[in-house]
Amino acid sequence: MQGRLSAWLVKHGLVHRFLGFDYQGIETLQIKPEDWHSIAVILYVYGYNYLRSQCAYDVAPGGLLASVYHLTRIEYDIDQPEEVCIKVFAPRKNPRIPSVFWVWKSADFQERESYDMLGIFYDNHPRLKRILMPESWIGWPLRKDYIVPNFYEIQDAH
Amino acid sequence: MDQGNPMNVPATRKDLMIVNMGPHHPSMHGVLRLIVTLDGEDVIDCEPILGYLHRGMEKIAENRTIIQYLPYVTRWDYLATMFTEAITVNGPELLGNIQVPKRAGYIRIIMLELSRIASHLLWLGPFMADIGAQTPFFYIFRERELVYDLFEAATGMRMMHNFFRIGGVASDLPHGWIDKCLDFCDYFLTGVTEYQKLITRNPIFLERVEGVGIVGTEEAKNWGLSGPMLRASGVQWDLRKVDHYECYDEFDWEIQWQKEGDSLARYLVRIGEMMESIKIIQQALEGIPGGPYENLEIRRFDRERDSEWNDFEYRFISKKTSPTFELPKQELYVRVEAPKGELGIFLIGDQSGFPWRWKIRPPGFINLQILPELVKRMKLADIMTILGSIDIIMGEVDR
Repeated sequence: MQGRLSAWLVKHGLVHRFLGFDYQGIETLQIKPEDWHSIAVILYVYGYNYLRSQCAYDVAPGGLLASVYHLTRIEYDIDQPEEVCIKVFAPRKNPRIPSVFWVWKSADFQERESYDMLGIFYDNHPRLKRILMPESWIGWPLRKDYIVPNFYEIQDAH
Repeated sequence: MDQGNPMNVPATRKDLMIVNMGPHHPSMHGVLRLIVTLDGEDVIDCEPILGYLHRGMEKIAENRTIIQYLPYVTRWDYLATMFTEAITVNGPELLGNIQVPKRAGYIRIIMLELSRIASHLLWLGPFMADIGAQTPFFYIFRERELVYDLFEAATGMRMMHNFFRIGGVASDLPHGWIDKCLDFCDYFLTGVTEYQKLITRNPIFLERVEGVGIVGTEEAKNWGLSGPMLRASGVQWDLRKVDHYECYDEFDWEIQWQKEGDSLARYLVRIGEMMESIKIIQQALEGIPGGPYENLEIRRFDRERDSEWNDFEYRFISKKTSPTFELPKQELYVRVEAPKGELGIFLIGDQSGFPWRWKIRPPGFINLQILPELVKRMKLADIMTILGSIDIIMGEVDR
């Protein structure tokens, strides 16, 4: 069974993979990093004008890194606004995904946080630098293979 | 004096001044650092630097069960604590298709709306203090103490209540709480009219706040704003009406929204939301049903009956962990309408007690992105007005 957006994308010949519905029935699509910047504009034009949340996670230790975008169309007075969840997978060695800041400005701090926590580089982001960790931190904290550094101040704190 | 004399024009006119409004603030926004580039009194650019309160909440969540994690969540938004607990519990409830009993749903709504009032009150105090009016700061704490007393009677803690559980609430309301709460509602309406008289038509306040920090409708949607910031720009988007969660549909209330999008509109939206919350609380208190307050069925886990670890030989080896709620291998994005905006959790479950990824979508973090845009071309004094009207709290911005 295909979701509505997936069927529409197939009709227009856009490469994507349908990943099923998540637990609440929101359809999930997988887009390749090379196509993501053009498909993002297409989705904006289609009507998804609100980027609710952008997050990233790693799929398995040693596996791919995923960047997840939840998009909604803001409409009034309807029962269930349309929502879609887009996942872009990037390889762990050189994770580069085009930034969608220029489409939905809401991705500004969120992409910086995904970069900070997982190390996914977002091309064309205006200020991609660490946001939550100090600028001089080494390592990507939220990866499953992250080793917590054992420096003197942390030992002292226990 | 020196009207046209070129010798007296200061030579350093062209340099811009970079001022660091450092992490220590006299106002209660928390540890936010702003590097502001000024040309005289006009702001050219502003760069917020976050991360001073980053505690690694998301990484911690990957190693705690839901019950173990509940005390952590109140530390995200420590002024509206019930919302963080509600969303932590809503995720697993949706994943497990757990029915919450009606009474528990009503108690949750009452607690959530009281928490919303408490949060808006503690937004109002520092906002007015930043503008220069010190008195409302004391008034809001007077009302907030009453809310704290109600919370303490019901949950045992004034602020960091560990009250919500998967399937309901931790304990029932004590005897007489409902009457006390109704008294609070009546008293609070007089309090809000007091603020209206003092603040809303005050010409000094209006000078400071009207027309400052205007966010257009399309801009608000594009920047991903939510909550009162979005509703003050003309978008009638309130997750309580859109998502139909808990039992909000059974009450009669309106979405508060304004059209202008300036700081005055945000102030009016929040004051209006406080009055609507009182209406909801009164309706909920009058209609609260009897029944259980927690769905105890979910405490019964289908584990295998005779595990070998419960045998005779293993009884002194170690402490056996108690059975916990297992998150299925699904993912989910739940959200609530927190007083600051849309608070969301993107939860990826592993077939175990611990989640694989617990991503918090904090409203303050996303609403703060628009700050550099809004303060361009404003005066230095307007930065605090705009920052105050965005309503951020660093506990959830940094997590």
